[in-house]
Amino acid sequence: MEKNLAGDLTPRPKWRKVAYGGMQTGYDDNYTDESFLEEMVMNANVVRRDLLKVMKDSVSISQYLCIVALVVLVWVHTLGSSLDENSLLLLDLSLLASGFLVLLLTEEKMLSLSLLLRYVVNISFFTTGLYILAPIYQTLTRSISSDSIWAVTVSLLLLHLFLHDYSGSTIRAPGALKSPNLTSCISLNASIVASVFVASRLPSRLHVFAVMLFSLQVFLFAPLVTYCIKKFSFGLHLCFSFALMGLTLYSVYALHRLFFVLFLVLVVLVNVVCPYWLIRMQEYKFEINGPWDEAKLCFDITD
Amino acid sequence: MAEPKHRVLMVSDFFFPNFGGVENHIYYLSQCLLKLGHKVVVMTHAYGNRSGVRYMTGGLKVYYVPWRPFVMQTTFPTVYGTLPIVRTILRREKITVVHGHQAFSTLCHEALMHARTMGYKVVFTDHSLYGFADVGSIHMNKVLQFSLADIDQAICVSHTSKENTVLRSGLSPAKVFMIPNAVDTAMFKPASVRPSTEVITIVVISRLVYRKGADLLVEVIPEVCRLYPNVRFVVGGDGPKHVRLEEMREKHSLQDRVEMLGAVPHSRVRSVLVTGHIFLNSSLTEAFCIAILEAASCGLLTVSTRVGGVPEVLPDDMVVLAEPDPDDMVRAIEKAISILPSINPEEMHNRMKKLYSWQDVAKRTEIVYDRALKCSNRNLLERLSRFLSCGAWAGKLFCMVMIVDYLLWRLLQLLQPDNDIEEAPDVLLHHHGEKRH
Repeated sequence: MEKNLAGDLTPRPKWRKVAYGGMQTGYDDNYTDESFLEEMVMNANVVRRDLLKVMKDSVSISQYLCIVALVVLVWVHTLGSSLDENSLLLLDLSLLASGFLVLLLTEEKMLSLSLLLRYVVNISFFTTGLYILAPIYQTLTRSISSDSIWAVTVSLLLLHLFLHDYSGSTIRAPGALKSPNLTSCISLNASIVASVFVASRLPSRLHVFAVMLFSLQVFLFAPLVTYCIKKFSFGLHLCFSFALMGLTLYSVYALHRLFFVLFLVLVVLVNVVCPYWLIRMQEYKFEINGPWDEAKLCFDITD
Repeated sequence: MAEPKHRVLMVSDFFFPNFGGVENHIYYLSQCLLKLGHKVVVMTHAYGNRSGVRYMTGGLKVYYVPWRPFVMQTTFPTVYGTLPIVRTILRREKITVVHGHQAFSTLCHEALMHARTMGYKVVFTDHSLYGFADVGSIHMNKVLQFSLADIDQAICVSHTSKENTVLRSGLSPAKVFMIPNAVDTAMFKPASVRPSTEVITIVVISRLVYRKGADLLVEVIPEVCRLYPNVRFVVGGDGPKHVRLEEMREKHSLQDRVEMLGAVPHSRVRSVLVTGHIFLNSSLTEAFCIAILEAASCGLLTVSTRVGGVPEVLPDDMVVLAEPDPDDMVRAIEKAISILPSINPEEMHNRMKKLYSWQDVAKRTEIVYDRALKCSNRNLLERLSRFLSCGAWAGKLFCMVMIVDYLLWRLLQLLQPDNDIEEAPDVLLHHHGEKRH
């Protein structure tokens, strides 16, 4: 390369893509040859998405929307006294039983007596604690006006829906490897605070207990149950989701026409319009890779 | 005393007493420009109680602006907060060219913006590489696009860095110059007595962080130690991955073969380098890598990952490159050990002297300044049209920012007319002048 430095052998030696040896003879420092950006790769890891697949995947979202809508319906009926505490407690029990059954049926592991005993002990602790705390929840927000409570509840539910982990479940099956991330935890907490706020507007302790138990059961365990169903069989997941959608649409229709229309629009938006948009937007995807990218390690780092 | 040719203001958040590639670059470049008869002033933020004006070797004047660093030694972005002091310094020192360094220095971006508003010629040096995928990079690239939209000339430290900068900022490649870093070969000399080759020492000096490939080291070191009983490692540097390396050392019982030095101050780097035969660099991304130059200047054979601008840095017979993958790196070290007997440190040092020098860097930078001065002056409207083309929303935002900056500048001129700012007398010490004090 020292020969090139001398520059007297050939009038204009070939330009090389190197940094050493000072300024290359016959070329300015801003010289750009045809090899410029040769190694740039565009859209190397872009996944071609299929409209049907995206639509199928988006069913998870509308399914959870339905679950939250059903919880809100139960709240509305309880607040409007069209649902008494006994039927609420019956609903709680049946939900608990059916959820447990689904988990049992979809789980690969066999159920042992000790595991069952542990579940029963946990559930009884949980319900007892909730029962003891019910009077506190009932008087918790007495000094706050109802309007503020409704406003905060709606915004908390929106936050919950926005941050919810639709692909998995915040509550993990025992022994799960990955711990939930921050946003899904915030989402779960938002939903629980919303249920406490709603429960604090109820007339009796038993009401409060029943509604709290119901909301907690749904918000904590519904994602786990639906996740298990989805893992077990995708067809069953679709059937279950469509049944839920039907039930929700019917109940909303019974409550109010306008809400029905709004909810229907939302479901169509989530299941049809948004997937279509996503597919359409793929053509604008512009990904650049090249030698300047940080190298990826080909092994896992265990810290 | 001849009138200085260029009057340059170097701006960056990164300068001594902080230490790194950028700091080094600014210091050596300024020293060599001073020797070429230019006037150089450095502007950086205050470090600890070092605030105000200081003079360094060769009469290099440094303004430590009393702005506190915010994260990673950069100042808090206030957009307009630095306008008065930048204006005062530019007037006081009768600056002609403003030269900003490093893309994530907020002080540099702000100073460049104000300098452009006031019609000064601006040059920017990019010292690092950025991707295009993550949120941080996307924002950083937009800021860079704003800063470089109206720049006169830009400098990059390697061809890969040039490609990266052109893509990120949308500059024309003809405006971007490739001027590498250099090494002070007088400081990095091989040991007078070459260490015996019975035990081969592999030196690693880098911060022990993910980006520098500390995780690769954890995989590579035990494997090399297993293959070669006569190899020992010296690891200099500290960082979050220090614990992982310690764990590796204990797990494979290599305490007597892997020496961990902890953080090595730059003044001691040479004394660590000369104890070794091979220098190992495991970075995952690198625009240039001065560490390789320092090692080669000390006569060490380098083994490095083939990332970023590293393949351009040294001729093929002075470096063994490997993919950033443990198996390939072990193979590269095997190859390096096999060609080690043919390496003569003294000869390598002499070659490095010819390949890299800061004087050469300064001369090439001088050409860039000349070009910048030849660029035509543009009025505000012409400049605004450039910002508008930066993006549908960003373009309008950039225009707003520039218009406000212009108005603030005019207001400052009303409050304190340009002529009221006292001009600092030039203190130009020449080469032998340093001995006077």
